[in-house]
Amino acid sequence: MSRSRRNWNEVNAASLARWIVLTGFLALAGLSYVYLNLQLYHLGDRKKALENEVANLKAQNEVASAQIAALTSRSALQRRLKEGYLKMIPIAEHNIVRLSVPARNQDDQVQPVSNQRVVK
Amino acid sequence: MKWNSRTRCALICLGFVLLFSAFSFRLIYLQMIKHDQYAGLAAEKHVIKQPIFAERGTILDANNEVLAHNVPVETIVADASRLNEVDATVDLVSEELKLPRGEVSDKLHSDRRYIVLKREVAKANADSLRQKLRAKNLRGIYFEQDATRIYPNGLMLCHVIGFTDFDHRGIQGVEGSLDQYLRGQEGYRYIEHNRAGQEIVLYRGQERAPRNGYQVHLTVDLNLQNIVENEIDAAMGKYSPKKATIILMRPQTGEILAMANRPAFDLNQRSEAKPEQMKNRAICDMMEPGSTFKIVTAAAALNEHKFSLDSYIFCESGVWNYGGTPLHDHAAFKDLSVKDILVKSSNIGAAKLAVSLGDQKFYEYIRRFGFGERTGVELPGEIPGLIRSPNSWSKISITHIPMGHEIGVTPLQMATAMCAIANGGKLMTPRIVKSTTTSDGKTVSTLKPIVLRQVISPQTANQIGTALRGVVSDRGTAAAAAVPGFTIAGKTGTAQKVGPHGGYEKGKEVVSFCGYLPAENPQFVGLVVLDDAQTKPEQNYGGTVAGPIFSRIAEKAARYLDLEPHEEIRKAIPVERVALTNSSRH
Repeated sequence: MSRSRRNWNEVNAASLARWIVLTGFLALAGLSYVYLNLQLYHLGDRKKALENEVANLKAQNEVASAQIAALTSRSALQRRLKEGYLKMIPIAEHNIVRLSVPARNQDDQVQPVSNQRVVK
Repeated sequence: MKWNSRTRCALICLGFVLLFSAFSFRLIYLQMIKHDQYAGLAAEKHVIKQPIFAERGTILDANNEVLAHNVPVETIVADASRLNEVDATVDLVSEELKLPRGEVSDKLHSDRRYIVLKREVAKANADSLRQKLRAKNLRGIYFEQDATRIYPNGLMLCHVIGFTDFDHRGIQGVEGSLDQYLRGQEGYRYIEHNRAGQEIVLYRGQERAPRNGYQVHLTVDLNLQNIVENEIDAAMGKYSPKKATIILMRPQTGEILAMANRPAFDLNQRSEAKPEQMKNRAICDMMEPGSTFKIVTAAAALNEHKFSLDSYIFCESGVWNYGGTPLHDHAAFKDLSVKDILVKSSNIGAAKLAVSLGDQKFYEYIRRFGFGERTGVELPGEIPGLIRSPNSWSKISITHIPMGHEIGVTPLQMATAMCAIANGGKLMTPRIVKSTTTSDGKTVSTLKPIVLRQVISPQTANQIGTALRGVVSDRGTAAAAAVPGFTIAGKTGTAQKVGPHGGYEKGKEVVSFCGYLPAENPQFVGLVVLDDAQTKPEQNYGGTVAGPIFSRIAEKAARYLDLEPHEEIRKAIPVERVALTNSSRH
């Protein structure tokens, strides 16, 4: 018994465990590195796709704005008015009731207010 | 010599040392000394500087109505070396882009690597083509982002807004004069791409965001512009003049509220416009102003205290021989006050006012009113007009210039001079740009009114204003320019047209009216000019042709600006816009 025990190479369990942990850690780090790198590529592609989507939406928005501007432009409204699509009746002077003197944008930007008026 | 094993071993070691030293030196040379050069070469292969285009700024009116803005479009290009199925691509592209098949075929059967198939393709059409190319797995067609300029109002305000060229550079109007503000600044991004040409986002390099162009806010009010455009179109229909110009300005600030010229063109179809349609005649054309120029003569004489408004001048009963040349009035006036010289538009009276000043002094006032120099409005192509110095005047120039002959002025100069009368004698720089803002609304710059100089005293301006009220009365030459409910001050002008080879063209006149409203507190100055109006010769005068146009514009503008009508006139019976009698023309 003692003879056979003497011929065995003793394994240092603590050292082995340390190496296994170290190797495992290195393997994990390597795999994580590869995984994260792939993730970065995927995120880059996703970012690009989102950028394209935003650009597309912005372009659609601009096209819609242009259509709104064209449809509400003065010339378009005039055309509609001539076609009879819109009807406008000018307000006659006798139908205008003036409650107060209209506030005019003077040079000094002072607007007349009721409590500042001098009653003569 | 016999080497022992130790020596051999040492030699082999030395060989290795030398070999690895050589490798090391080469490595150091490549990695450190030549690093920049080789890194640059490598980058050239994979890294490109991708431009990020800035958006051109929009142009807005005083009420923030859009006058010019951008619409995204795409440019379709092809790389003939990358086409996989040329004939199928030709069929699809010609069908989708509505291009002749032969033209597309010729282009795609070449060996060029950059072929522009079509520009300014609408986004929807480009998307449709893109999807079909993908579905059929056709390669070699690329889409470049671009933008085109759209003008929602077409013809309206075309000479002021202007347009851009192929490369989005402004070349006319505000688009041209404020191009550096509207254009913005392009950004860039360094990117790496893979073998398929796709960007590797992970390796994105240095990046600078673009700065979009500034928004330009004009002083023009589209509501007033619309009134003016409708009236100028009506005048073109009624009188068929060769050209016409109408300007509305705010006298206190010099802001241009409306500016219209005819002939005009549609900004969205500018490629079809003729050169004469593209000319902004308000600043690029000069005319002899005729009697409207008498305001300058009278203002100079009053300001120099040569006469008072009620001083009487003998008007020679209709004919005055000066310098061997007879000068005529349209009626046999005898004694007229300075006020009545303007009201009746007497040529002889105006000439005598100028003679009392003398050549040099009169010339000085002409220049002080801004004639003979560019007004400085923010529009390209303005001309200074033509004012000769007194040493090149003829003997009779002093009698002809006071009634607006022998000089060339632009309509804008004339309107600016009238502004000086309306605002108490201050010559303002006319302005078309109100402010510039960033695309998110932050103010970059606001342009304040610029007073060039005090031309005449406020008292003189007031006196001229009083006389000009008489012009728009039953006694004056412009009764038809009256607006019920308001007091108007103004002056008519009728000048014979100068022919292309010198001399005056018989029967061809430039008629004009320049006035302001309300006379007691002017809110706007208006100028109407019609060149060669087709009407009966006895009706072709400023008061009968341009006056009523001014009246209609002023009435609508006053209503829009909510100006309160003068109480006394409002209660009176509305004044009919009567045709003028023979005695009150000019």
